[in-house]
Amino acid sequence: MTREAVYERLNNVFREILDDDSIELHDETVADDVDGWDSFEHINLIVGVEEEFGFKIPMGKVVTMKNVGEMVDIILELGR
Amino acid sequence: MTITSFSFLALVTIGAVLYYVLPKSLQWIELLILSLVFYYYAATPYTIIYLVASTLTAYFSTLIMRKARKKENVKQAFPLAIAIAAIAVNVLIWFILKGRGLWSWAVEGVISHACPAKMDAFSSMQLVAALGMGYYTLQIIGYVVDCYWETIEPQRNPLKLFLFTAYFPQMTTGPISRYARLETLFERHKFQYQNLAFGAQRILWGFMKKIVLAERVGAFVAAICEKPDVYTGFYSWLVILLYPVQMYADFSGCMDIVLGVSELFDIHLAENFRNPFFSRTSQEFWQRWHITLGTWAKDYVLYPLLKSKPMIKFGKFSRKKFGKKLGKFLVNVVGMFFLWMVMGVWHGRFRYIVGVSLWYWIVLMAGDLLAPVFAKFTTFFDMKTESFGWHLFQSARTYLIYAIGASFFSLGISGGLALLQDAWKVLTVKDYANPWIFFDESFLNLGITYGDINLFFITVLLLIIVAVLREKYGYARIWIQKQSFMFRWLIWISLFVMVLIWGKYGPGYNAAEFIYQGF
Repeated sequence: MTREAVYERLNNVFREILDDDSIELHDETVADDVDGWDSFEHINLIVGVEEEFGFKIPMGKVVTMKNVGEMVDIILELGR
Repeated sequence: MTITSFSFLALVTIGAVLYYVLPKSLQWIELLILSLVFYYYAATPYTIIYLVASTLTAYFSTLIMRKARKKENVKQAFPLAIAIAAIAVNVLIWFILKGRGLWSWAVEGVISHACPAKMDAFSSMQLVAALGMGYYTLQIIGYVVDCYWETIEPQRNPLKLFLFTAYFPQMTTGPISRYARLETLFERHKFQYQNLAFGAQRILWGFMKKIVLAERVGAFVAAICEKPDVYTGFYSWLVILLYPVQMYADFSGCMDIVLGVSELFDIHLAENFRNPFFSRTSQEFWQRWHITLGTWAKDYVLYPLLKSKPMIKFGKFSRKKFGKKLGKFLVNVVGMFFLWMVMGVWHGRFRYIVGVSLWYWIVLMAGDLLAPVFAKFTTFFDMKTESFGWHLFQSARTYLIYAIGASFFSLGISGGLALLQDAWKVLTVKDYANPWIFFDESFLNLGITYGDINLFFITVLLLIIVAVLREKYGYARIWIQKQSFMFRWLIWISLFVMVLIWGKYGPGYNAAEFIYQGF
């Protein structure tokens, strides 16, 4: 899986869950940059990502990831 | 020994000198000894066994987990069971010693039925909790969970783990540190002038908040609350509006001293406050007030709860059944309830559960529900929601919401209700208002002078200036550092003199305990 492919699928998950088609994620994107991405949606997004990619993200990663770039790193690592 | 006493400052000064003179490999051992000395003088010495017990449960459980994970034939559930057992032991010790206000009524009920003769014995039974118990217990639980989640490696030296539990600056009122951040305790630290300067400045600022401002406001508020039948009407409003000032100056002043002291040792603790009264919403307020408790509850209670299977199922079900918006709202209602309950219960008494948990749960949920209505309202009237005036209105609203919760927090459920009712009468009952108290000399009967009133306004103004500088430059002291030599020293010397002259301290005067010391 390439980084670009992950981003394409990730954008779709975010757009679907947050109901916002204008979302365009980057490595440096953080929760504050995206309207509606609060603590509750954070877990919804994680669950959405898990369902999209077909694996579980461990809690330790959920609480420590700092931006979308790290989320993509985790997805690439777990998806190997 | 309290952290505003001379003996504490002397201990810290000697400690800091030794810290940089001794070989660097001994630094963490010195911090450990300092922590023991502080505990001996600041707390009931034998209660240190509770800290030892907490440390040992965390030490052994995390090492067993780690060992189990390395074996192949061990079931997944085993490390989880170990983690839960360690957490349960810690919560139980805390609950018995600190949560007496939550369970004693039940025990009293049983005793009064079964053997009333034993009632006196139970009432007079002393349960002495350890110093800083509420804070270090959360730290230890966080450590165990972090090891379970494998975000950190377990500490193999029990003495080092004990230092993490008992590190003396945070024994009074936290902050609730994460292990990953506090690992610097075990590293070697070079002397840096900046740490000395910034640390001392921060301690001084904390003293200003506590012994010049908080003590004054506290004495005034206490004098009013002593006679609620005499001091009514606008006095009640004064109490409601001044509590948050007292609470902030007290708690954040304490944090300034704590973080400043720790900075002297090149250990940078997490911030607990970020200008909370600038918040535009109550939700934002709790991201800026007692930050380490909020983030702790988010990471270790809210996230695991939301990510649990039943909650995910419930979320999917409610979104399907009630639509996206209402479905999400229902998940929020449940999640927030647990989050706020944990924060309230942590404070250990019913009044706090009401003043913190229920009150904020209701306010935040109502805010969520009404947000679309507010949005329509502001668009309809074309309000400039980014204007300074609107921001001010929002901050005032957030302040008032906090003040109402704080009334329960400080006076208990019935006391808080009585205070709010009395304040309400000013608005609704004819001739109940007594505005003349602001203009005649009524306040002077409450044990304060004109000087105290002037000092109040001066210090609050200083707090506002510092808050604005902090918002702009990260820290006020960073802005001050950039000023000319003369101006810089003028600021610090004036502050020092101010604390020296107007601070409430010294023989014959015992600075009251910090409000948050009780948790």
